[in-house]
Amino acid sequence: MVVGASGLGRTTFINTLCDADVVPKRECDEPEMAHIEEGIKIKPYTVELDEDGVKISLTVVDTPGFGDMIDNEYCFQEILGYLERQYDDILSEESRIKRNPRFRDNRVHALLYFIAPTGHSLREIDIELMKRLSPRINVIPVIGKSDTLTPSELADFKKRIMEDIEHYNIPIYNFPYDPEEDDEETVEENGHLRSLLPFALIGCEEEIVVNGRKVRARQYPWGIVEVDNSQHCDFAKLRFALLSSHLQDLKDITHDYLYENYRTEKLSRSADDLSEEGSDEEDQHARMKEEQLRKEEEKLREIELKVERELKEKQQELWAKEQQLQTLEAQQA
Amino acid sequence: MAPVQVGAGIGIANLPNQRHKIVAKSGANFTLMVCGESGLGKTTFINTLFTTSIKTPKTYKRRYNKTAEKTVEIEIIRAELEEKQFNVKLSVIDTPGFGDYTNNRDSWMPIIDFIDDQHESYMRQEQQPKRQELSDMRVHCCLYFIRPSGHTLKPLDIEVMKRLGTRVNLIPVIAKADTMTPTDLHKFKKRILEVIAAQNIQCYTFPLESDDEASTKRNMNIMAAMPFSIIGSTDDVVTADGRTVKGRQYSWGVAEVENEDHCDFKKLRQLLIRTHMLDLISSTEETHYETYRHAQMETRKIGEAKVKTVTNPKWKEEEEALRKRFTEQVRLEENRFRSWEQQLIAERDRLNKDLEAEHSHIKALEAELEAMQAGLSPKPRK
Repeated sequence: MVVGASGLGRTTFINTLCDADVVPKRECDEPEMAHIEEGIKIKPYTVELDEDGVKISLTVVDTPGFGDMIDNEYCFQEILGYLERQYDDILSEESRIKRNPRFRDNRVHALLYFIAPTGHSLREIDIELMKRLSPRINVIPVIGKSDTLTPSELADFKKRIMEDIEHYNIPIYNFPYDPEEDDEETVEENGHLRSLLPFALIGCEEEIVVNGRKVRARQYPWGIVEVDNSQHCDFAKLRFALLSSHLQDLKDITHDYLYENYRTEKLSRSADDLSEEGSDEEDQHARMKEEQLRKEEEKLREIELKVERELKEKQQELWAKEQQLQTLEAQQA
Repeated sequence: MAPVQVGAGIGIANLPNQRHKIVAKSGANFTLMVCGESGLGKTTFINTLFTTSIKTPKTYKRRYNKTAEKTVEIEIIRAELEEKQFNVKLSVIDTPGFGDYTNNRDSWMPIIDFIDDQHESYMRQEQQPKRQELSDMRVHCCLYFIRPSGHTLKPLDIEVMKRLGTRVNLIPVIAKADTMTPTDLHKFKKRILEVIAAQNIQCYTFPLESDDEASTKRNMNIMAAMPFSIIGSTDDVVTADGRTVKGRQYSWGVAEVENEDHCDFKKLRQLLIRTHMLDLISSTEETHYETYRHAQMETRKIGEAKVKTVTNPKWKEEEEALRKRFTEQVRLEENRFRSWEQQLIAERDRLNKDLEAEHSHIKALEAELEAMQAGLSPKPRK
């Protein structure tokens, strides 16, 4: 999932990551309607990627409209509600007697939060969001449009953001490793990625020719910024970490730790207050869904029986006809 | 009456020179307001514009001590600039905290109130019997910094700009313009102009036609570049071809501040200082102040105080605190008086008792005396 205020390069980043035009560019609405605040929308897009021969079905959830309104308290609830709904689906699926073999796991494994490149420090909305969402999802902070900052400014900015994150105790996904258990390579790799947090990103979809090669880059009157160049931004490293090296780690943490926490909280909550209407409604909802499934299965069975009966009748007709023909033949002969 | 042309020249044409001398001696007074979210380069821009360090950059050590009240503050910085023996008293008004919070509703109220208050205070001073020494803090120009999102204006921007445009000369500015490629920048500027036109936001305009061809062309050039895209920097860096300029050094090149292809900084500086500073000042005095005065005079008499709507929660809290202190003190005083009263009553009772005692003593003595007299008087009869 990618979350961030509009204009920070979210859409471009998704398209750059997937190397295809996945998310359509925002169509700016009429100038007369520009003062109307739209709420946040949650849009999932699914893309098939091929990483070094490994096929990945990547689902990217975009959240346009976040942080655009004058009062943004509502945005947090929307996103949190979406994440918890996915967990709820899995929970009810696991508790079902007859599980659906084709059930699709829609849980979100990682959240990339785009920080505006102000150069100062984290803003209130950034801190609030990361705090509220980190119990439910792996939060990875990134800096959008990082070509705004000179290298020294970028280093200072990163340092201050990490200080803020520590000060406010925000649990982000920081490539955990255990110095004793893991081997040296993993320790080194994770340590290096951790030092790059938050990742500085630049997104670009157009290709231009630089030194005879075609690269994805942004052209300014004073120079050219390349997306895949490690000295210009951290895009390549992030892509590798997300899709290759730490993909399984993120999924494991989501399933083993975050989902289990949610499950414990939810079940102990409903055990505490059995008579509350809220859990009743949820049970009813789950029961209704089960009933619907059962009814559909029954209908399917009825249709099967009907088809079998018709087949038998047809067979008998044909038999009778055959008999008739045989008797006729016998008469003729 | 048709103007009469004076023949050989009696010296009327010398009037502008006299005016020039008077103005040069008295200096000018210029108040500039910068408004926008934090991190857009407002402080850097001011320092770049006047090529001195007028405002110190933000310190980060105290950012954890932020108070729980989420209000927009008004910060005033005064400086005196001198160039070729001409003084300008410059005041820069900054608005830290604007647009920084999750809920930014009514965050523009302190800014609007400040601008209105300056008009109000000038109006009051004008109505005083003695109005020689007027302190004029009316805002002559407001630069609104727009975040370079590349899409369009945010609803918050539109709300604030609408309100600012009717009260002060508003100049929209695109901050950190080195974020966008030239094509993106062009599209963004067009979008902003469309939105400004559609939403009826009044921006600062000036008369384009002027006496000579060069100024007219220059004015049209400047107007066409609205909203101005700027890059701010006070550091000197060396470009690829060896020049030392003010700019920002990236690993892929140097973005120069004074280069017309990179940003519109030069045009904005020309507008603000070189060519149209006087126009800004006079339009504030003539148009905006008069509008305010007109609106106020319709409902108020001369000398009456302004009806204030106190919506600022900080003030309400202070009011509450003051009221509490006041009632506390009143209670203390009352207690003191009561105990004093009781003391007095006790004193009086004691004295009364003493008096009683004396009285009874006297009575006893009188009785004795009478008894003795009675005892004495029968003796002479015997």
